[in-house]
Amino acid sequence: MSLDPRALALQEEQPPRPAAPGKKWVKSVRVQNGIDTEVWEEVDADAGSSGPSWGARADLRLLNHDLRRIDGPDKVTGRAVFTHDVRLAGMAFAQVLRCPHPWAKIVRIDLEAAKKVPGVLGAVVLEGEEVKWLGRPIVAVAADTPEHAEDGVRALVVEYDVQRFAITPEQSQAPDAPKIAGNRDNVRVHETEGELGAVEQALGECDAVVEGTWRIPVQHHACLETHGVVVDYRGGDSATVYASTQGTFTINSDAARKLDLKGARVTAVVEHMGGGFGAKFGMGLEGDAACKLSKELGRPVHMLFDRASEFLAAGNRAGGVHVLKAGAKKSGELHAFMAQVERHGGVGPGSNQKQPYIYRPATSYTQVKSVLTNTDSSRAMRAPGHPQMSFAMEGLMDDLAYAIGMDPLEFRVRNVPPDRRTTYERQLRLCAELIGWNKHPHRTAPDRSEGELKVGIGFALATWGGGGGPECKVEVRLLPDGSVEVYSGTQDLGTGTRTYVAAIVAEELGLELAQVTPHIGRSTYGAANASGGSTTTASLAPAVKHAAWNARKQLFEHVSTLIGVKPESLRCVGGRIQDVNDPDSNWIGFKEACAAVGGKGISAQGEWQRNLAGSGVGGAQAAKVRVDTLTGEIEVLHMVGVQDCGLVMNRMATRSQLNGGMIQALSYGLFEERVVDPDLGLVLNANLEDYKIAGCKEIGLVQAVLDDGDDNRGVIGMAEPAVVPGQSAIANAIMNACGARLREMPLTSDKLLMALRGAKRG
Amino acid sequence: MSHDQLQPADAGDVRAAFTRRSLFRGAGALAAGSIVADAARSAAAAPSVRLEGALEIELSINGAAQKVKVEPRTTLLNALRNHCSPPLTGAKLVCDRGSCGACTVHVDGRPVYSCMTLAIDAVGKKVTTVEGLAKGGELTEVQRAICEHDGSMCGFCTPGFVMSITACLERKPDATLDEIKHACAGNLCRCGTYPHLFDAALAAGRALRAKGGK
Repeated sequence: MSLDPRALALQEEQPPRPAAPGKKWVKSVRVQNGIDTEVWEEVDADAGSSGPSWGARADLRLLNHDLRRIDGPDKVTGRAVFTHDVRLAGMAFAQVLRCPHPWAKIVRIDLEAAKKVPGVLGAVVLEGEEVKWLGRPIVAVAADTPEHAEDGVRALVVEYDVQRFAITPEQSQAPDAPKIAGNRDNVRVHETEGELGAVEQALGECDAVVEGTWRIPVQHHACLETHGVVVDYRGGDSATVYASTQGTFTINSDAARKLDLKGARVTAVVEHMGGGFGAKFGMGLEGDAACKLSKELGRPVHMLFDRASEFLAAGNRAGGVHVLKAGAKKSGELHAFMAQVERHGGVGPGSNQKQPYIYRPATSYTQVKSVLTNTDSSRAMRAPGHPQMSFAMEGLMDDLAYAIGMDPLEFRVRNVPPDRRTTYERQLRLCAELIGWNKHPHRTAPDRSEGELKVGIGFALATWGGGGGPECKVEVRLLPDGSVEVYSGTQDLGTGTRTYVAAIVAEELGLELAQVTPHIGRSTYGAANASGGSTTTASLAPAVKHAAWNARKQLFEHVSTLIGVKPESLRCVGGRIQDVNDPDSNWIGFKEACAAVGGKGISAQGEWQRNLAGSGVGGAQAAKVRVDTLTGEIEVLHMVGVQDCGLVMNRMATRSQLNGGMIQALSYGLFEERVVDPDLGLVLNANLEDYKIAGCKEIGLVQAVLDDGDDNRGVIGMAEPAVVPGQSAIANAIMNACGARLREMPLTSDKLLMALRGAKRG
Repeated sequence: MSHDQLQPADAGDVRAAFTRRSLFRGAGALAAGSIVADAARSAAAAPSVRLEGALEIELSINGAAQKVKVEPRTTLLNALRNHCSPPLTGAKLVCDRGSCGACTVHVDGRPVYSCMTLAIDAVGKKVTTVEGLAKGGELTEVQRAICEHDGSMCGFCTPGFVMSITACLERKPDATLDEIKHACAGNLCRCGTYPHLFDAALAAGRALRAKGGK
């Protein structure tokens, strides 16, 4: 099938059919196959007209401002209790034995010696008789201390029947490679789009053609808090599970299955969690282990992975190879494009990666396949697939721009999707201004001059859906003493959920932030979606707003009779409820109003409101690097990120996330790579000194700018786009600085020196 | 220091005290500071002391004496988190080998990795944890500044940064950005809060200098 993305966009210019009575069509952005796509959705025609609205941005007192996190003091004093910190009476500490082979059948497991180790309380065998990746937990041991649990693990006796395995994609594509997934081929073609012949013909029409092979290593999430749970099941029909998770409600359902209890009888608690980045949905084998042990021992079990397990058995970002070839016309048109994409997801299919990313060639052909290996399966990781796609595509874009002698920024503007050109162009030009591109002497060709220290600048773009959905239920309670409590089962991954939950309610009720107490992270509170795909805020914030709005309406009904003013003439302002027509003399204090409601107080529910959320974000980033052409040292001097995200809940916390995205991308670009011995299958850097993540000294000036240019949209998540383009901008800056195109991450000195030698010879 | 220097004369007797892990820790001690190195050296010089099983030791933690029952191999970090009453879980177990700084505490006023320090080596020394900084519930300038500048996201690294920045500014309240980066070079943050932590540290330094100048 011939598929021209522009033609697709045109086809969808109009809704598929006339709207039903009482309905209307709206355009939303959804992520489909890792690429966000605009889709038409039929919604109620009067949505938003009578319900809550965010109001004019200029009128907001708290939202869209810099807010201090409510839980900041807990985090800086050590009071914040993470799952790792849960300490219960009689609690046992557990650890796991990991399979030391990439593929083995388990012949015999002997727990007896381990059970006799001083302090050991019990040991359980985890499901699975055949293990297809090194590091998979096999047995879990619980003891009175973590040290004794380790002793117990060391005393375990397991006999393996080691199988032939394939570690590298090359090995698993060899003719005699063992078949990793039953009779299925190790290589699977997922999709083919476009007509190769048409692209080949179009390449002939181009003024310049470039090609290259981009190689992307496997990245680890490296959450500082490892995966794990504390399962407290002492018999009976209920249990409590404390979890380091991105989804409160993924835990109680999983744990209930494992403990054979009813879902509602298991309470999941996620007070604070130390980083997820996509790897922490549901209970993994560590959760199964804790459930089994707690059930067997009748006491709470603390089962948090050690650091090595975190690297070996807790997921990763899929690697890949992107072979790209493309041509452009002198006019700046990206005319022809072809891609062969290979995804490396271990025993899994690898995350979504396809091409072309963001830019719209006139003709394109893409084939995507995955290659299985005997390594741990990849999991979702912040913007699954996008950083990989970006690294290859953005490199190709710069190479093409230089090949036709065009400024890469202008080449980007020329080839982004037309309907998002305004946004991207605004963001790119702001990046250019802040990073000094306009005064940079090498804007249409890399600086290939002699010289030791050279400075270059590069750009890259991001795209994400980030919309919300009707998954959250929120309760706002107004108590007779005037206290305001908000309840949602949602989890805070470090984005500042607690704070904006309170801020939305305080804003609606005319109160200060400190007057509202948020309660989150407990499955006994209202349902909430798991935090994936930057959908938390756009799902939760509208429901919180709706609950607060309902609470205010109920309160106004009471106040109306008290002070003789119609509810529609009442406003919440500065801790008072007042008559809009006579605010100075006709008012009642918020506390007095709550007291007047009486003993039962007010309980208001909220659900998702489509008109309060938006979807579809862009984002541009720029990097300035200095390279030392003698030593190959690469130093990132400055990064700029310009990110749109609709209505911002907390500007300071959002800048934090944008900073964090840029820094993670820098880390991915310069340092991160899982290194596996191809013969033994051993992961050689399953610890935090050999697997390097960026520290204080590796980052330069990081500048986060929130783009309010499209300021009429509701709430949209932005965590994912922030992490997409940084490494691509850095690679482009290196190219700009010295003419060396590094097509393999991490971008290290040795690769730079080799590329410089190649460039000189070439 | 080499592994040889850690081998006691009577290796059989002290094996319980020095597991593979503590040997490993000793080997990495040069980078981590002299606390562990000193401990290992003194243990090596006194091989006749046999340490095995659970020992009751007294630690001075946040100004109060606390008796804890630990094994010779128990790290100061695990002693704080698992053997103190109430448990002091502010310092975090992250890398367990001196790579990330999340377990940073002060021992006699100096920042150390408590995962690289044996609990028995903290006997007779003053240990301060993140829980011990705010007196009477009032945040220190460093803690306050981190809250004001949004210097924590998930917050798992935060206690370690609080301790590193505090030690840096106690030594040098006018520390420059580069000096602050140097002081925190042993702390990792995966969320990427560094820029806001740097803002906070510089602001805290200014606040401390203003207080000192009174």
